[in-house]
Amino acid sequence: MNATIGEIGRSRSILLAPSALVFVGLFVLPMLYFFVVSFWQVSLFDLDRTFTVKNYIRTYQEYLGVAGFTFLIAGIIALLTTLIALGFAYAVRFKVGRFGTILLFGALISLFGGYLAKVYAWKTILGTNGILNTALLNLGLIDEPSTALIFNPGAVVVTLTHYLLPLAILPIYGSMRGVSDLTIEAARDLGSTPVATFFHVILPQCRAGLIASFSFTFLIAAGDYVTPRLVGGPSTTMIGNYIESLFGFRFDWPLGSAMSFSTLFGCVAILAVTSYLLIRAQRR
Amino acid sequence: MRISTWFWRGFAILVWLFLLSPLAIVILFSFANNVVTTFPMNGVSLRWYTALFDNIYFWDALRNSLVVAGSVGVVSTIFGTMAAMALARMRPKIAGPSMLAMATPVMVPPLMVGIALMVLYVSVGMKLSLFTVILSHLVFTQPFVILIVHARMVGFNYAAVESARDLGASPLRAFFTVTLPIIRPTIIGAALITMALSLDDFIITFFTIAGGNTLPTFIWGMIRTQTDPTINAIATLLVGLTVGLSLVAMAVTRYRG
Repeated sequence: MNATIGEIGRSRSILLAPSALVFVGLFVLPMLYFFVVSFWQVSLFDLDRTFTVKNYIRTYQEYLGVAGFTFLIAGIIALLTTLIALGFAYAVRFKVGRFGTILLFGALISLFGGYLAKVYAWKTILGTNGILNTALLNLGLIDEPSTALIFNPGAVVVTLTHYLLPLAILPIYGSMRGVSDLTIEAARDLGSTPVATFFHVILPQCRAGLIASFSFTFLIAAGDYVTPRLVGGPSTTMIGNYIESLFGFRFDWPLGSAMSFSTLFGCVAILAVTSYLLIRAQRR
Repeated sequence: MRISTWFWRGFAILVWLFLLSPLAIVILFSFANNVVTTFPMNGVSLRWYTALFDNIYFWDALRNSLVVAGSVGVVSTIFGTMAAMALARMRPKIAGPSMLAMATPVMVPPLMVGIALMVLYVSVGMKLSLFTVILSHLVFTQPFVILIVHARMVGFNYAAVESARDLGASPLRAFFTVTLPIIRPTIIGAALITMALSLDDFIITFFTIAGGNTLPTFIWGMIRTQTDPTINAIATLLVGLTVGLSLVAMAVTRYRG
């Protein structure tokens, strides 16, 4: 390189400038402003910019139950998704041989298969006149269409697990691909059973992928409002549905903001504790 | 063969079926002559596609989607590639955390990102339009370009670029005559992934568009009001577009497992 250090620094700043501008101007600033809004209030369809924490108090008083329910559903979805993804990645990496490529390819295709298309597909599968009901009727297993398949928390869990699974498979398979065959052979030569090898050799090396998958699926599930709206029914109203309504017909931005950030901070706290416990459990 | 091997094979195939069959059902029934989406199929028909193509709002949504995805594809790829070039030359201890920070928009629930952007646009007096949708899509597509192009640049051999520079080429000229031809497949791949993500986005688009529709918001309107098999047809088109783009992307970047 015949450029001086100053020149290199300058050209790097120029190269980084556009994306940094997008990141700061269209993510950091809007999020900060949105956070500030949570300390304001609405009066006569306008924002009153006097500092108040009453939106957080209201969130705590009125929506704590909804938030707890949302975290529970999101936790179940994240746990289920991560475990299935772990099993799938393990099978593809170690057990299925050359079919692995086809299986992984299928997972990748479904990654781009359309968010709304998937939710809609589950609506037609689980619906009262849906595919599952017709199949059960034709098989004579039920006499009339079951209404227990859709419009409940279970339908939300199935749909979101399906949507998030390919996103969870990628990081876990990525870290599993990094597990060297040498360490596994070494464990086997030293008399380790396959189960012990899995828990003591493979799993610790996949920790980063597992934490990434669990965290990502938990955050997305906790913030979703489309799936509960379409397949959850009235019994499965999650915090995202309330937040969305505050920016639509209910027009209360400050309360919506306080609920959003309470949810986000709640998620981050839960994920921090989970990761800490996971790391400590594995150290033993 | 051992039982455990058969167990894992069965498990992997079940997961694979679970992932793909809902999409297969949507695609299958888009060509079925059924008024209700359920088995048995009453013959093959293109009636739902005909119904869709007769709907002028579908063409508006398609045009809007292509305008947004095309613009986002170009701008996001240029911005992301520039950043990746700079990051690849920085120390990993700085580049790694910087990329992680730039990727946070992907980790925050899209509902919050969409609302925060809408609140900002409205507060600074920007009118919501396709332009605000394009700006919003840059936020969550750019990290993917940075990650993909950076991964390619990590193993890049700079010898040829340095020769060009030593022979008097400007940095820009060296980039366009040496670096770009070498990494072109990666950049095309990143652009296609970006367009697929943009085409598929519903939540952020929903909050940052004024009137009008893109394909996902159009589908949303249909799902909420009816269960018309036309939805199968439009969902199939959208899936075809996004999967097609990502398949081409994987092929040009020579993605292998």
